[in-house]
Amino acid sequence: MKIDRRCFLSLVIGGAVGTTLTPVPWKLTDDIAIWSQNWPWTPVPEDGPSKYENTVCAMCQGGCGITVRKIKQRAVKIEGMSGHPVNKGSVCPMGISSLQYLYGPSRVKSPMKRTGKRGEGKWEKISWDDAIAEVSDKLKELRNQEEPHKVACTADSDRNTVGYLFDRFLAAYGSPNFIRTPSSEDANELALYLAQGRNATVGWDIENADFILSFGVPLMDSPDSAGRMFSAYSALDEKAELVQIEPRLSDTAAQSKRWIPAKPGTEGVLALGLAHVIVKDKLYDSDFVKNYSSGFEDSEDEDGNTRKGFKSLLEDYSPASVAETTGIDKAKIITLARDFAGAGRPLAICGRPIVQGSVDEALAIHALNALVGNINKKGGMVAIPEPDYLGWSEMQRDETASKGRQQPRIDGAGTDRFPNARHLLHRLPEEINSAGDKAPLQVLLVAGGNPLYTIPDTEAAKKAFDRIPFIVSFSPFMDETAEYADLILPNHHFLERYEDIPTPRGYAKPVTGLARPVVDPQHDTMHTGDAVISIAKNMDEFIREAFPWDDYRDFLEQTFSDRWKSLEKEVYSVRKDFTPADWEDAFDTPSKKYEFYPTSRQMPPDSERDRLPACRPLEIPGDGDSKELPLLFVPYVSVRIAEGAIANPPFMTKTVDDTVIKEGEVFVEINPETAKENDLSEGDSAVLKTSSAEARVRVHLFEGIMPGLVAMPAGLGHTAFSDYISGKGENAYSLLEAVSDPASGLNTGWGSRASLSRA
Amino acid sequence: MAKKAQHTATKRYGMVIDLDKCTGCGACMVACYSENNVPFREDESDKMLSLNWIQVFKVDNQKPFPDTEVCYIPKPCMQCDGDHVGHPPCVSVCPAVATDYDQPTGIVSQISPRCFGCRYCMAACPYHARQFNWWDPVWPAEMKQYLNPDVSVRMRGVIEKCSFCYHRYQKARNKAYMEGRDEIPEDEYQTACAEACPVNAITFGDLLNDEHEVHKLSKGKNAFRLLERLNTNPKVYYTTTKDWVRRITDNYLENETPGDVEKARKAQKASH
Amino acid sequence: MSKHDNQTAPAETRASGWVIFVFFLIGLVLSMLSGWIAFPNLLYSTKEQPIDFSHQVHKEQVGDCDSCHYFRDDGSFSGAPGLDECSGCHSYQMSDDPDEEKFVNEYVGEDKEVPWHIYAEQPHNVFFSHAAHVKGAGMQCSTCHGDIGESDSLREYQENRISGYSRDIWGNSMLRLGEAEHGRRHKMNDCAQCHLEETGSKGECFQCHK
Repeated sequence: MKIDRRCFLSLVIGGAVGTTLTPVPWKLTDDIAIWSQNWPWTPVPEDGPSKYENTVCAMCQGGCGITVRKIKQRAVKIEGMSGHPVNKGSVCPMGISSLQYLYGPSRVKSPMKRTGKRGEGKWEKISWDDAIAEVSDKLKELRNQEEPHKVACTADSDRNTVGYLFDRFLAAYGSPNFIRTPSSEDANELALYLAQGRNATVGWDIENADFILSFGVPLMDSPDSAGRMFSAYSALDEKAELVQIEPRLSDTAAQSKRWIPAKPGTEGVLALGLAHVIVKDKLYDSDFVKNYSSGFEDSEDEDGNTRKGFKSLLEDYSPASVAETTGIDKAKIITLARDFAGAGRPLAICGRPIVQGSVDEALAIHALNALVGNINKKGGMVAIPEPDYLGWSEMQRDETASKGRQQPRIDGAGTDRFPNARHLLHRLPEEINSAGDKAPLQVLLVAGGNPLYTIPDTEAAKKAFDRIPFIVSFSPFMDETAEYADLILPNHHFLERYEDIPTPRGYAKPVTGLARPVVDPQHDTMHTGDAVISIAKNMDEFIREAFPWDDYRDFLEQTFSDRWKSLEKEVYSVRKDFTPADWEDAFDTPSKKYEFYPTSRQMPPDSERDRLPACRPLEIPGDGDSKELPLLFVPYVSVRIAEGAIANPPFMTKTVDDTVIKEGEVFVEINPETAKENDLSEGDSAVLKTSSAEARVRVHLFEGIMPGLVAMPAGLGHTAFSDYISGKGENAYSLLEAVSDPASGLNTGWGSRASLSRA
Repeated sequence: MAKKAQHTATKRYGMVIDLDKCTGCGACMVACYSENNVPFREDESDKMLSLNWIQVFKVDNQKPFPDTEVCYIPKPCMQCDGDHVGHPPCVSVCPAVATDYDQPTGIVSQISPRCFGCRYCMAACPYHARQFNWWDPVWPAEMKQYLNPDVSVRMRGVIEKCSFCYHRYQKARNKAYMEGRDEIPEDEYQTACAEACPVNAITFGDLLNDEHEVHKLSKGKNAFRLLERLNTNPKVYYTTTKDWVRRITDNYLENETPGDVEKARKAQKASH
Repeated sequence: MSKHDNQTAPAETRASGWVIFVFFLIGLVLSMLSGWIAFPNLLYSTKEQPIDFSHQVHKEQVGDCDSCHYFRDDGSFSGAPGLDECSGCHSYQMSDDPDEEKFVNEYVGEDKEVPWHIYAEQPHNVFFSHAAHVKGAGMQCSTCHGDIGESDSLREYQENRISGYSRDIWGNSMLRLGEAEHGRRHKMNDCAQCHLEETGSKGECFQCHK
């Protein structure tokens, strides 16, 4: 019997035929199909009962109520909380994206101590006990040297419990340097204090106004308080008119019925120009002006000198001269003034993004509201009192603390130079860099903001930070400042913690929101309130006694006392008994009236200015060399780009157009006319140079921007957080310089002289 | 077993987007990513490779400063009925029956496990509503935690697109079954984008049901659809009072007016 | 060049026809044997359930299926109960059953979910509405799940080594012939077949796929 190759072939053929007569091929095909549809590396989200829990979003200070959808212990979706008084169910992209931060790679997972050089990214995990001890020891040492005033702290709010704990700590410890992170609230709040004599926040009753005159307020462009702005906007009456004054066709301008592009920086001048027409045409509320205001007419002071009143000031702001300054047609100014004053419930609002703002400009715009008599009225400008619950008794202080607290502030706020200002974070680099050999600041506690990203002129800020021997960050995320710190004491994410959120900026009713834990802490983090209390408990007797609470939760419950239960359940509380004060009782100025001429306003010793809100176009850096820097650089904000301390999570970057950012490069908007003059076309790579820095950008031509301007979104160009966030675009703040408003010290550096040339 | 016809009344779910109200904030997009487990990449500024189920486009009237106007156009899947109902352009070309016309709802389904990635549908869709997964999605760190179990995660090599949040329809039906109801009220089935829109520019509901807001809005005089002359019969309508916006939603010649073109199209269709 | 190349080898050196046929038969028989007998055994791995659970005992103690496998208010179905639900009763040991002891010590005590093998588990991208079938169409649990509710002991679980799902989905019979042993088979065609019979339509893609 011969066996050859063909026998084997036959065996194989037999096998093949046999196999087709078995289930093998058919069953395998089916199983492989199923297998290939369920790769093991494709995640399968675990299913389970779904429930919804309410809390308050703390991604910004906007205080929107949110509803978190949970599957078992996982938070899977954020939606607007219907029925919440602030946002009424509306929520912004940032709020929805916040889960990407909760579970994302930029979290700081435990206390960390720097081991390498600053900013090098070398860290060592340490225990919470060690971390607290490390800070306490450093602070004790400084106090023993009788230098407690060389400690400063930044926090996002001075009206909530965490800000309060820090301020209380500094008071007991002996430092005056509690610095609130800057916002447009600063100029508004100061103007309100000067004109009305109240420590209050400015509430704009947009929901009930029928003519809203916005001086560059990014109502629909800023992620800050967006939920409330959107709900207010959609609640507006169809007949209500929104007028936007802004040199660029922003999303707010696009939604407005009238878009009036004024030359940037001249908004205050325009406000006075409008006031001029209103006064000249006698369109103002004569009852209010006559009976409840002072400083309108010229008067005599105690020494018998004539004091110029607001009315006389306005003489310099005739439509013709204002038209020249602002670039707006004279007739348009007159019509606008008449329409505004003639509306049923007119409201003028201010608060430009990026900067703190000019107090003169804010006073001028507040004066418009005063002229039409809408102060504390429905649809008007309402003074919202500070929260009433932070009423802890004064603590006992030792001598070191009292002496330290009396020292001038490191940022110069409240000093002779800037007598009215309260918080001037942008001045830190200047003060530190110009100091002599001995560093004026020994310890910086960063519990809010991300100063190394948001302080204008990042390079100067970095230089100043290099001179601070000990920097502690409380950030839950590895942001630019945390990356540069010596020690990180990571806070919980807001979905893991309690935190009270005071009345949001611009909201016209006092409301307290409470963020509460929706998920368990994902990492070894600690509530910053607990961290402060723990540090205080490690200190000397007087400081220890100023912090009698077990922990933050205990402090919070005691603070809210009988309101705690309902606040925890409802996540917000509105002061039902609140009605804006009547004009008789509204003003706590020396004259007890609304002061067009704020008598309590202290002027710096060398100031040529008067206390009246005389507005001039705001200064910007680099004005001297307009030949080399022929253009104006203006950052803009977009609701799709987080512009401040927190960076864009991937979801938000995903929403941004490819004419704003593309393949890591940011686009600047210029008018086609400007493009022609500078020999640029759509998509060109270019170098944007300002007086402080330069950046590589690409060019997008947009008809909706004033010729001569170069606009770039703020909030890109982060260098920290994670690979999903960093390295996309350029940081607009680094191209700016801080400009301290000569009258108040507030940062008004809204732009910069610039040039744009093809790369 | 008793045959009980549940929810058999034909529905045509559709959307009306008020372009005059849309501020372009992008909340619809982000709500959609979050609801539908839309993947993201390390560099989301790389727009060529970015996936979106709904995308908001910015357009302007091209007039020189300061007469410029801008408008935002949110664009989900148009859920076309097709020239003959049930034959949207994408469904007709799919060789794998991975995309189909859902008769009870009018929603165009996309079954990712069935798709083998030929991308024929992507080419057939005149609205660029379909996107291809060139890579396997990756959720870094603990980000898998936020994934929604109601929507399956897609893998490399398949097409994905807007489903009008069909899983929410399923959930609404479940609830209706529990409560022994046949009808799903308007507010019980809303897409994530419509729900998230902070200015209520997006209205969603059954176009055939005259109690639903979309029924009325879609018949308004300012209502229109994108590229209407292709006869794809989308179920996503737009409204605007601005003529220039209306004009850029199709390739109109200078001498054409959108209203007349639409009338002519309807007449031509009727005569067929 | 040689005249005798491979193609023209002399006849005596070649295998005869019947030898070749025998090899064919050997191949045929071997492959049929492996396909019908070895393959099913190789394809499935047999797994024991972590705890031998008695549905019968529980049914006597707590009532019908829906005491543990219940609908939530939103119409979703709870499926196999989790540790939280079980430990409502089993926070401590209630009998001297060794499986209960194991459950209380190893799972309740350790706060660990029991990794049950689910006989009717479908891939994640399949949507199945229990509400539509039970509440809408008034079907009984046993129609699809068989008599598991009456069982005193959990039968062995056979896992498909390739797809990772239970043998019950395809059914025990490799040819899918005859009645399924445990209720119904759960392949897509089985769903479609029943839908065609009961509703007149196989259904739409989106009805079951997500």
